[in-house]
Amino acid sequence: MLSRIAESMFWIGRYVERAEDTARLLQTHLRLIIEETAAHEVDACRNLLALMSVDHVEDPTLTDVLRILGYDPSEPISIYFSYAAARDNARRAREVIPLDLWECVNTTWHQLPTTPFGPTGAHVFLNWARERSAMFAGISRGIMVRDDGWQFMSMGRSLEQADMTSRLVASVSLTHGSSQWPAVLRGCGGHDAFLRTYRGLYTDREVAEFLVMDARFPRSIMHGLIAAADSLQRVAQNNPLTARHAEPALRSLGQLRARLEYADLDDLLANLNHEMSVVQDVCAQVAIAVSMSYFAAEEPPAWTTEGTR
Amino acid sequence: MADVLSNYRVGDAFDEMIDAEGSVRPSYKAVYSALSSSTSDDLRMIAESLANNYTQAGVTFDVGGVERPFPLDLVPRVIASPEWEIIEAGVAQRVRALEAFLSDIYFDARVIADGVMPSQLLTSSTHFHRAVWGIQPSNGVRIHVAGIDLIRNPDGDVRVLEDNVRVPSGVSYVMTNRNAMLTAMPEAFANQRIRPVTGYPTRLLTALRKAAPSGVEEPTVVVLTPGVYNSAYFEHTLLARTMGVELVEGRDLECRRGKVFMRTTAGLQRVDVIYRRVDDEFLDPVHFRGDSMLGVPGLVNAVRTRGVTLANSIGNGVADDKLIYTYVPDLIKYYLREEPILPNVDTWRLEDDQAREEVLDRLEELVIKPVDGSGGKGIVIGPRATKAELDGLRRRVSEDPRGWIAQPVVQLSTVPTLIEDCLQPRHVDLRPFAVNNGEDVWVLPGGLTRVALPEGELVVNSSQGGGSKDTWVLSPPPHRSSSNHRVPTEHHDDADEQPKTRTAVPLTVAPIPAAVMPKMAETQRQQQDQQQQAKPRSWRC
Repeated sequence: MLSRIAESMFWIGRYVERAEDTARLLQTHLRLIIEETAAHEVDACRNLLALMSVDHVEDPTLTDVLRILGYDPSEPISIYFSYAAARDNARRAREVIPLDLWECVNTTWHQLPTTPFGPTGAHVFLNWARERSAMFAGISRGIMVRDDGWQFMSMGRSLEQADMTSRLVASVSLTHGSSQWPAVLRGCGGHDAFLRTYRGLYTDREVAEFLVMDARFPRSIMHGLIAAADSLQRVAQNNPLTARHAEPALRSLGQLRARLEYADLDDLLANLNHEMSVVQDVCAQVAIAVSMSYFAAEEPPAWTTEGTR
Repeated sequence: MADVLSNYRVGDAFDEMIDAEGSVRPSYKAVYSALSSSTSDDLRMIAESLANNYTQAGVTFDVGGVERPFPLDLVPRVIASPEWEIIEAGVAQRVRALEAFLSDIYFDARVIADGVMPSQLLTSSTHFHRAVWGIQPSNGVRIHVAGIDLIRNPDGDVRVLEDNVRVPSGVSYVMTNRNAMLTAMPEAFANQRIRPVTGYPTRLLTALRKAAPSGVEEPTVVVLTPGVYNSAYFEHTLLARTMGVELVEGRDLECRRGKVFMRTTAGLQRVDVIYRRVDDEFLDPVHFRGDSMLGVPGLVNAVRTRGVTLANSIGNGVADDKLIYTYVPDLIKYYLREEPILPNVDTWRLEDDQAREEVLDRLEELVIKPVDGSGGKGIVIGPRATKAELDGLRRRVSEDPRGWIAQPVVQLSTVPTLIEDCLQPRHVDLRPFAVNNGEDVWVLPGGLTRVALPEGELVVNSSQGGGSKDTWVLSPPPHRSSSNHRVPTEHHDDADEQPKTRTAVPLTVAPIPAAVMPKMAETQRQQQDQQQQAKPRSWRC
């Protein structure tokens, strides 16, 4: 498939996933912030924004958080921005995207909020955002041919999911105490599954193991890494002539998997914040490697390339 | 008369629905009865549903970079079968003549030698490109797609307003308009057979494949778009999607040694036929505008060495130059030895001193058009222009008489159109689309009917805020072959136009499985039931 289209597919996957994950993260923390006393609000908000690599607001309030992560079209990590960017990419890849999927993305874009909202409106909006992502995932799973376009979209989605789960996990280490884990698990929709798996035991160890390493849970970091590697391998198989292009990204993914799989859980917990930032770094590296191998832009036009010398 | 039509007053123009005596034309009987049994609320609901449908599906036309839903009016334009046959033959004839003209002038220009057309007319056309002189396309086709703009004057005659043989746009809206109408007012389709428009992408793809460079067995066809900010981007995606081919931008392509390749995730892949929707001037910075970001360096060389086929060909613009348009009836006689089926609109050639004098005297009652314009740009309608505009125009025409033509103001025919709450006559034109595959010229039944929404407005172009209508070509009545009607047998070559009747085949099917629920013994059920009732009681303690 066209490199340019592959890149668009990759980013559609990323942005739709990012919108959903941001909504989940925001919902989790809204609840924590509101449950806690007002004195902590600024700290909690600052931590949350720091997690999302936002550092341009001093003494952020809940309103700032909702604006920056929620409805402000000019903030590059807001849910609004993610859906708008997903739609823009979908428009560029319009001829390879099934009609139903395009209408899903386009309708989402049309329904984006045009006015600011407070915490009450936020819940309606965040639920809506999660539903739209779920609808996108369902339609794409249900009708898309599993060609390279699908693989690049899955790859983008998986990388984004691993990256965002690592941020969600790191958010616990910023605020102390295991009391946060239930909220984080609920944010991932994995609360009940966790309780069933570990028979109701809340310990940092088990929760971290579940969210980081349990590949059976589709929002765990490990699941994202494996899924991204699978997609890359499929692309390599489909294009035997360029199979080697997948190697740098596969190598990074494999090294990270080994690092997490064979990590000592206590060490991992002690350095949770650092380990999670390693996950984010590797996800960024993989995205760059994929981009270099598959989406590389044309060389700038030069008069000397044409001819028969 | 019914509610929504009570204020329908036909003006001086020919009305497609109501004749001069005030009775409904036969072709509009079904539409009329559907309309007259509707209230304005019904119509408003249909109009809203049409607009929502387009917004959701992203059927848009960009004006100045802003996406707008393409306006579709709910009253269709209906063309009776005998009339369509004339239009169809006339459009195909014109395309054949223009095709012959192009292959002549880019080779030995007999038309000049034989004195049909002055040579400076040709060489002074801005779209005559010497870069492609002498190139013979592999199957001889230069006009793979044509859009011929037709109008109907107050006498009821159909005339050709202009030819578009460069990159005519609008065909995607023909297809989406039909889909939207079928969803929004299915009952209006019920009582008549309307010829389908779905065959277009297949026809186009076939024509493009046949145009591939010789020796290519399985040609790779792509659509070349200027990009997402182009006003017709929606159309480009729809055509690529419905033909199942890649939609590429200039930066996706690369020329190497006279061949064209696209950059894919599997490396470079050869491209054989490019249905390009980029203007000539932007196609190749080596030959045309050096600052073009949309083109591919080396593309013209690839065309010259027959490494790739462009559709439509470079240099076609000379055939839809509006001054050359005035010679098309002569070209039809000269090349085809036929009489023109569809006449032109009367046109003054301003290089002729006498004609120019007459036109400059009557400027305020004529329409003046630039010869190389499209999309309604630069047109001045005399009766609507201010004095300053007319003075400026008079000066420009005197300085560059080759650049302009003049035509009388033609009152285009009208069709009922929903304006706020009631139906009003609005002026329309018609752009049928023709596809030339090298063996025959196929005309899509119907075409794009564009409608000017402001009252009395005569410029219908989408880029000037015009709307559109679904165009219904009625199928000939089925009993016609047995009766002695004057209609000749129509070529029903489309498989999808033939009514299909299938006899029911007895099917052997397996039963649909369902989960087996364990049969409960009555005592078990009672026990479960008691347990449920017990719970609240125990809480209360």
